[in-house]
Amino acid sequence: MSEQSYAPGSHPDLPPPAGQRGAIKWIRENLFSSPTNIVLTLLSIFLVWKIVPPMLDWLVFDSVVDANHRNECREQGTGACWAVIRERFTQLIYGFYPTEHRWRVNLAFVLMLAALLPLLWDKMPGRKTLLWFSAAFPVVGFFLLWGGTVGEIAATIIWIAIFALTFRFFSFAGIGILLAALFVIGALAYFGLPIGINIASWFSDAAVLEPVESAKFGGFMLTVLIGFTGITLSLPLGILLALGRSSNLLIVKAICVGFIEFIRGVPLITLLFIASTLLNYFLPPGTNFDLLLRVMIMVTIFSAAYIAEVVRGGLAALPKGQFEAADATGLTYWESMRLIVLPQALKISIPGIVNTFIGLYKDTTLVLIIGLLDPLGLTQPILADSKWQSLSTELYVFIALFFFISCFAMSRYSLYLERKLDTSHRN
Amino acid sequence: MNTNTNNDQRLVVEMDQVHKWYGTFHVLKDINLAVQKGERIVVCGPSGSGKSTMIRCINRLEEHQQGRIVVDGTELTNNLKNIAEVRSEVGMVFQHFNLFPHLTVLENCTLGPIWVRKMPKKEAEEIAMDYLSRVKIPEQALKFPGQLSGGQQQRVAIARSLCMAPNVMLFDEPTSALDPEMIKEVLDTMIELAESGMTMICVTHEMGFAKTVADRVIFMDEGEIIEQNEPNAFFDNPQNERTQLFLSQILAH
Amino acid sequence: MFKLNTTTERRGQGITALTFAVFLAALVAGGETQASTVDDIKQRDALRCGVSQGVPGFSNPTSAGQWEGFDVDICHALAAAVLGDASKILIKPLSAGSRFDALARKEVDVLTRNTSLTYGRDAGLGFTFAGISFYDSQGFMVNEKTGLTSVGNLNGASICVTSDTTSQENLDDFFRSKGMQYTPVLVEHPDFALAAYDSGRCDAFSGDLSALAAHRLKLNVPDEHRILPETIAKEPLGPVVRQGDDEWSDIVRWTLMALLAAEEHGVTQANVEEKLKNSPNPEVNRMLGAQGDFGSMLGVDKHWVVTVIKAVGNYNEIFDRHLGFNTPLSLSRGINELWINGGLMYPLPFR
Repeated sequence: MSEQSYAPGSHPDLPPPAGQRGAIKWIRENLFSSPTNIVLTLLSIFLVWKIVPPMLDWLVFDSVVDANHRNECREQGTGACWAVIRERFTQLIYGFYPTEHRWRVNLAFVLMLAALLPLLWDKMPGRKTLLWFSAAFPVVGFFLLWGGTVGEIAATIIWIAIFALTFRFFSFAGIGILLAALFVIGALAYFGLPIGINIASWFSDAAVLEPVESAKFGGFMLTVLIGFTGITLSLPLGILLALGRSSNLLIVKAICVGFIEFIRGVPLITLLFIASTLLNYFLPPGTNFDLLLRVMIMVTIFSAAYIAEVVRGGLAALPKGQFEAADATGLTYWESMRLIVLPQALKISIPGIVNTFIGLYKDTTLVLIIGLLDPLGLTQPILADSKWQSLSTELYVFIALFFFISCFAMSRYSLYLERKLDTSHRN
Repeated sequence: MNTNTNNDQRLVVEMDQVHKWYGTFHVLKDINLAVQKGERIVVCGPSGSGKSTMIRCINRLEEHQQGRIVVDGTELTNNLKNIAEVRSEVGMVFQHFNLFPHLTVLENCTLGPIWVRKMPKKEAEEIAMDYLSRVKIPEQALKFPGQLSGGQQQRVAIARSLCMAPNVMLFDEPTSALDPEMIKEVLDTMIELAESGMTMICVTHEMGFAKTVADRVIFMDEGEIIEQNEPNAFFDNPQNERTQLFLSQILAH
Repeated sequence: MFKLNTTTERRGQGITALTFAVFLAALVAGGETQASTVDDIKQRDALRCGVSQGVPGFSNPTSAGQWEGFDVDICHALAAAVLGDASKILIKPLSAGSRFDALARKEVDVLTRNTSLTYGRDAGLGFTFAGISFYDSQGFMVNEKTGLTSVGNLNGASICVTSDTTSQENLDDFFRSKGMQYTPVLVEHPDFALAAYDSGRCDAFSGDLSALAAHRLKLNVPDEHRILPETIAKEPLGPVVRQGDDEWSDIVRWTLMALLAAEEHGVTQANVEEKLKNSPNPEVNRMLGAQGDFGSMLGVDKHWVVTVIKAVGNYNEIFDRHLGFNTPLSLSRGINELWINGGLMYPLPFR
C-alpha cells in the first residue's frame, strides 16, 4: 500500500487493510489463532460430524409419524416413533380436561397472552386501559378454567369491590381491619355460630360455566398455569419481601427475614408435600381446598423468597445517593420506592429474576411427585398403554423441546428488556 | 428569581445548640446558626469537620440528637409530616449530582413538582424547561443523565432543585467531583442564582466563589463552628489559629 | 421511625398467636362427619376410584382420556352394583405414596389400584381389604444366553430392580433365607431399571410377574428373554376401603365374589339375560335376582349382578380383555384360576 502523507489535522478515516476484515480475518482470529485452538476446532468439527447426522436420522429421517402402535413404527423405520406424540398430543396439552370444554382452556390462554402484552410491551397503544384487563385476567382465567355459578361469580365481584372500596377510602389499615373482621367472623362461624357470610347463596346457583375438577387438569396446560401464576404473583410478593427485609421497622424486617430464610431453607418438594398432605390436617374435613390451588400458592411463595433475595441484591447495588436524592425531593417512602428505587433496582436484578422464573417454570415438573399430571407426570400413564410401551425417549424429547422453547423465549425477552432499559450510554 | 418583594428579616434556617453523634463519635458540637432570607453562606473547613453533616441535618438526611432545627417556621422532629414539609421547601445539590439515571433530564426536573407539589404534568414541564434554559441546557432535556458531562449533570441537578421553588438551597461540595474545566460553568450558574436573591448555604472550597457572592463565611473544624465573618474580613484577617492554618493551606498554591 | 409500645405489641402478638393456635386446633379436632360412603356415592351419582398412574393392563388412559384396564373394570363393576350404571365413575390416578392418604381423606371411595394386602396395611392402617382380585407374585426375567433356568442358579447374580418398593425387600429376604449372595442394581424408575437390564448390566431383572410380561415386550429382542417359573414373594392385590363402613365394604367384597361366581357358573356378558330367565341353578337364580331379593340385603338393586355382568363380564372376561393371551401382556391365569381348576379363586356362596 502506498504511503501517503496528510497535512496535520486533515487525516481522513481510512478502511482497515485487507486481511484485517471480513470472513477470513474472523476465521483466523476465532478458529485457527493458536495450535490449541486449531486442535479444538478440528475436534469440534469431528464431534459434530459424529453426533449430528445420527441424531438427525433418529429425529427426522428415520422417524415415523404415521402409525397406530409401536410395532407399526418399528416396521416402518428405525428412528423415533413420533406417532405416540401425534396420538397423545391433545392429552399432553390438556391432560384430562373434558374435550367439549377445551375451548375454555384455549380462550384462557389467548386472554393470558393478551393480558401479558401490555405488561411486557410498554409502547403498546392504549396500554393504560389494557392494564385494567391484565389486572382482571386472573379472576377471568380462574372462572374460565375451573368454571363457576352465577352466585360464585357475583360473590367474587362483590368481594373485590368491597376490598377496592375499603382500600380507596381507608388505605392499608382499612384492609387490615377488614381482614381481621373476616377472620373473626370465619372463626365464629366455624365454631357453629350462624353468622357465616355466603354472598354466593344470595344468587342463583346455576352454572355459568360447568365446573371442571382441577384433578382433570394436566399436560402443558398445567405447566403454563402453575408457571404463569407463580411468575406473576411471586414478583410483587418478592419485591414486598425485599423491601420489608431492608426496612427500618424491626417487626416487619423480622417477619420478612424469617419467611425468606425458612422458605429458602426448605426444598420445593417438601413444600409440595406439605401442600398435598400436611395442610389437609389443618383444614376441617369436608372442606375442599383445591390441591392445585395449594400447589400454586406453594410454588409462588417458594419463588417469591428467591425473588426477594435477588431484588435485595439490586437494592443493595443502588448508590445511597439515589435514596438521598429521592428523600431530598420530598417523596414519600412508597413514592420514592416506586419512582426511583425499584425501577433501578429491578433493572439491575433482571438477569437474576428471569433466572428464578426459568427455574420456577422448570420446577413445575416436580408436581408429578404429588400426583399432578403435568407432561412428565403423563409419561407414565401414556407408556402404560401397551400400544406405546417403551417410547419414553420420544416423550421426553418432545417435553424437553417444549420447555426449551418456553425458557429460551423468557431468556431472550430478558435480554431485550436489559437492552431497552439501559440508559447509561445511549447515543 | 422568585418574587422576593417583602424583604423582611425572617429566619429561613435556625439551628439552636444542635448536637449529633455517630455512635459515640461526637460529630456536631453545639451548632448555632441563623440564616436569614436571601442570605448567602459559604461553609468551609477541613474534611471530616462536620460541615456536610451540618447541612444534611437541615433537610433531615441526617437526624440530630440534641437541640432544635427550625426550617421556615417548621421544626424538624420525628413527625413525618414536618419532615416532608421541610424537604419540599429545601433544595439540595449533591457532590455526585445524584440525578436519577433511569429518567430523562426533563423527567428528573418534573418528578418533584408532579408528585410532591401535585402539579399538572404540562405545567411542570413548562417550568422545568424554563429552569433548564436558565442553566443553559434546554437542548439536553430529552437525554438521559448518563449522556451528559459532569458539569451539565450538576447544572441539571440545580435546575431540578429549583423546579420545586425552594426557600433555601443547600449545596454539598457541588464542584469537588468535577473535572477542572467544568467547575466554572457550575460556579457561574451558582453565582447567577445568588444574584437572583436565593437563600443559599454552600459547603465548598471555592474561595473565589465565596469572595464573590457570600454574605458570610463559616469555618468549621472538628464539629464546631470556629469562626464566621463577612468574606473580606474572613479572608484578610482570620482570628482563629486553625482558620489561619486552613486558609494558608488552601490558598498556598 | 414509629416507636411502638413494645409491651402492648408483644401482648398483641401473643393474642394473635393464641387465636391462631386455637383456630388450628379446632380445625384439627374438627372430627369426621359420619356420612356413609354409599350415601355419598349415591348423592354424587358417581363412584370415585383411585387407580395407579399407569400400569400396563391394570390402568392406563386412552388417547381420548378414558381410563381402561383390569383395575378400572373393577371400578366399573362397583359403579354398576351401587348406582346401576357402570359408566358413572370418576378415576383418580394416585401415586404409591398418596394412595392411602387420598382414601383416608375421602378423595376416593375405594382404591382399586394394585395394592398388596399385607398384615401391616390391613391391621395397622385404618383400612379394610375387601377381597383379593389378583394374586401377583415376584419373579425374575433372564436372558436365554445366560443359561439360567431356575432361581436356584441365581447365586452371585447381579439383579436389576426398582428401588423403594417391596420388590427390593423381598429380594433381600429371599437371598438371605437361601444363604445365597446377589448384587442389587437399584434404579429409581422401572423403565430405567429395565434399560439397565437390557444393556447387560444385570444377569436378571426382578419384579411383579404381571409387570414382567409387560416389561419383556419393551426389550429390544423379547424372544431372547424368559420369565423363570418360580416366584419368591406373595403380592395379593385387592380393593381397599375405609375401615368402619361395613355396608360399603360388603358391596365391594360381594361384587368381587359375583364376578368369580359368574365365571364359576358360566354366566357371561353374552348370556346373562338368558341365565336370568331360565337357569336351573338355584345359586345363579339367587345371585341374579330371579329368585328372592338378595340385593336388598346389601342395599342395592335386585338385579345388581345382572347389571354388573352386562357391563364388564365375569372375572375371566375381564382378565382376558386386559391381561390374557389376546393382549400384549399375554398372562396365563396361573394361580388366579378358579379353585375348581386348581387356582386360588374361591367364590363364596350366594346363600
